[in-house]
Amino acid sequence: MKRFVSILLVVLLCLSVFACGSKDDKKDDSKGNVVECNVIYIGVFEPTTGENGGGGMQEVLGIRYANSLFNTVNINGTDYEIQLVEVDNQSDKTAAVTAAQTLVSSNVIAVLGSYGSGVSIAAGETFANAKVPAVGVSCTNPQVTDGNDWYFRVCFLDPFQGTVMASYAWDQGYTKAAIISQNGDDYSTGLAAYFKIAFEKLGGQIVAEETYQTNETDFNAILTKVNASGAEVLFVPSSIQTATLLLPQAKALGISAAIMAGDTWENETIISDAAEGVTFSTFFDENNDANEIAKEFVAGFKAWLNADPENLKLNGGSDGVAAVSALGFDAYMVVYEALERLAETNSVAMREALIATDYMGVTGSVTFNEVGDANKDTAYIKTVQGGKFVFIKTQVAE
Amino acid sequence: MKKQTKLMLNLLLAGLAIALLVTVDMTTKSTSMLRTVLQMGSIYALVAVSMNLLNGFTGLFSLGQAGFMAVGAYTFAIITIPVNAKGGVYYLYGVNDAIKNIALPVIPAMIIAGMVAALFAFLIGAPVLKLKSDYFAIATMGFSEIVRMLIASSGLVTITNGSFGLKKIPGFTSFYSPFIVSAVCIGLIVLIINSSYGRAFKAIREDEIAAEAMGINLARTKILAFVISSFFAGIGGALLAQYLGAITSTTFPVKLTYDILLIVVIGGMGSVTGSIISSFLVIASKEWWLRFLDQEHYIGSFRVPLLKSGFRMVVFSVVLMVVVLFFRRGIMGNNEFSWDRIAARFAGRKKTSETEAESK
Repeated sequence: MKRFVSILLVVLLCLSVFACGSKDDKKDDSKGNVVECNVIYIGVFEPTTGENGGGGMQEVLGIRYANSLFNTVNINGTDYEIQLVEVDNQSDKTAAVTAAQTLVSSNVIAVLGSYGSGVSIAAGETFANAKVPAVGVSCTNPQVTDGNDWYFRVCFLDPFQGTVMASYAWDQGYTKAAIISQNGDDYSTGLAAYFKIAFEKLGGQIVAEETYQTNETDFNAILTKVNASGAEVLFVPSSIQTATLLLPQAKALGISAAIMAGDTWENETIISDAAEGVTFSTFFDENNDANEIAKEFVAGFKAWLNADPENLKLNGGSDGVAAVSALGFDAYMVVYEALERLAETNSVAMREALIATDYMGVTGSVTFNEVGDANKDTAYIKTVQGGKFVFIKTQVAE
Repeated sequence: MKKQTKLMLNLLLAGLAIALLVTVDMTTKSTSMLRTVLQMGSIYALVAVSMNLLNGFTGLFSLGQAGFMAVGAYTFAIITIPVNAKGGVYYLYGVNDAIKNIALPVIPAMIIAGMVAALFAFLIGAPVLKLKSDYFAIATMGFSEIVRMLIASSGLVTITNGSFGLKKIPGFTSFYSPFIVSAVCIGLIVLIINSSYGRAFKAIREDEIAAEAMGINLARTKILAFVISSFFAGIGGALLAQYLGAITSTTFPVKLTYDILLIVVIGGMGSVTGSIISSFLVIASKEWWLRFLDQEHYIGSFRVPLLKSGFRMVVFSVVLMVVVLFFRRGIMGNNEFSWDRIAARFAGRKKTSETEAESK
């Protein structure tokens, strides 16, 4: 018995020495992540599997392309190599937190992403706690940056987008609208809510509001109801996956009302006979010649996609330039441009540099307001015509 | 082995665990993956043990764990979000007057979260517990989905914030909080299992009719197990809410129940230590060790095939299938960790080697 006690004491003693002795090694957290060995790590926090896997991948492609062009940076006379650390957040809010944790623990000094708002909101605290700034790419929900000093974003917001689509619908002469949104999804429900507010303000009438569940495949009941309500236009903010299921069913039911949606629908996979005439708002138009940077980006990105069949496959099988790829490029460039102005090579200084961003990008100029949102005031309305996305007009909120 | 020796060994083990945690806390950066995995593992351990109480010890195959966690997490979030942050959280629909000025401290809020989950269990227990085996599983799973739908439904937007979920939930005050809470709760569950109630649970698992014949009130005992299990699942949910900082209805899908069930099965149905060990193992491998499979790797200029985004989950699933097919009883079966067994194993080996030596 005595022997056991002595062994116990010895072991505990050794451990306590070990525990105290290593106290000095504890790293300093006040500067966030600090760059080591002349390699700057930038995290890519995107869904590449799950519900938003397709769109997330297109964003990653835009970021990879940007990284292939600008992969070294000179800060205060020292050359640094920039490496991407990609992590899949699986379009899942619980997985997103550990995915974010993986990024901050691999010593990234800035994070790009994500595609969807839900995962960004869930991971926001993790980035803030680790003092690592994040630049949202196409997460449009106000909650992403609201109350989080470490989150920025390069896209416009749902209140803006919802209002723009309502204005567009009103301009087209529609007075009765129906809304179909996804229960439990912040993007879809948020956009629907802002559309409703704006459309009713303009004098329109919402005749039906329906919701569906995540991963639902049969929309016949909802569509029949909506059709019977006499709506002239359906507003269906949803994921790409839902769009590819809903559109053929709407066509089969012979729904004559116009169908409108948000930025997610700009993905080649939704194009089909059933998608003809669908309109949606987006961040960018590849055929817009007015912007030199955009022109250069489109040509370069297409060449880059075509150079590797793997990239082409990941882009949905064509070399069409999605708005989210352009946004991914811009997000990377915003970070890159901030890196050039960095005073110290750590993530806290990175945030300071990001605040002062004034960058002219593919999707327009980017400056951040006090919340961390890009000041953007134009949305591009596109439609599907003859199996292609066709640009209709730019629309500003009324 | 003597009782006293065992006590010493147990204390030694606990001391080692504490020393390990302290070492981790002192030496790692606050962003380290090890901390995350340990914290998450402890939360899942609590939920897995609470599920094991029902599925492994009482023999009631419930699939409602995610639902009770959702109830616990939402209750906790609603009553702890700081008053001045509420406006920002309920930005679209406004906040209900009833909860506008409520912001409780963490510990009472966690207990309330558990109690609300227990209340739900009590209410649905009476009708649901009349069902047997598969039907009971389906009914509880249905309950869990109903909870999720209700949370996201438009009727409760001023309380649950509908589809937007709740954020700004106060996080852990220290690195140790989840471990302390989990340890205390699991300790309580073990005490219950070793009490006469626990023996009644096990009697029901083995044979309901025989248990009833021995004077166990079936309905009462079953509902007791159900309520206790849900209480701790609710606390587990509250811990998860603190860990995540932001929750929505989709944080608690049926898949979450399956994940926990998986931990229970891998650890061994009816083994508390098994559940604890397997929850740390499963969480660490899923969130940390296997993550390299998602990235492309090069050996020299050779690109390792198959490694790309999503491959991690494939490997994870295959590992699970192997476990379920070939190690059906899990890590521990329905045994608990015991020094006697370890001693017996060592002694057994020694004895056999001795006999071998003698026979030579």
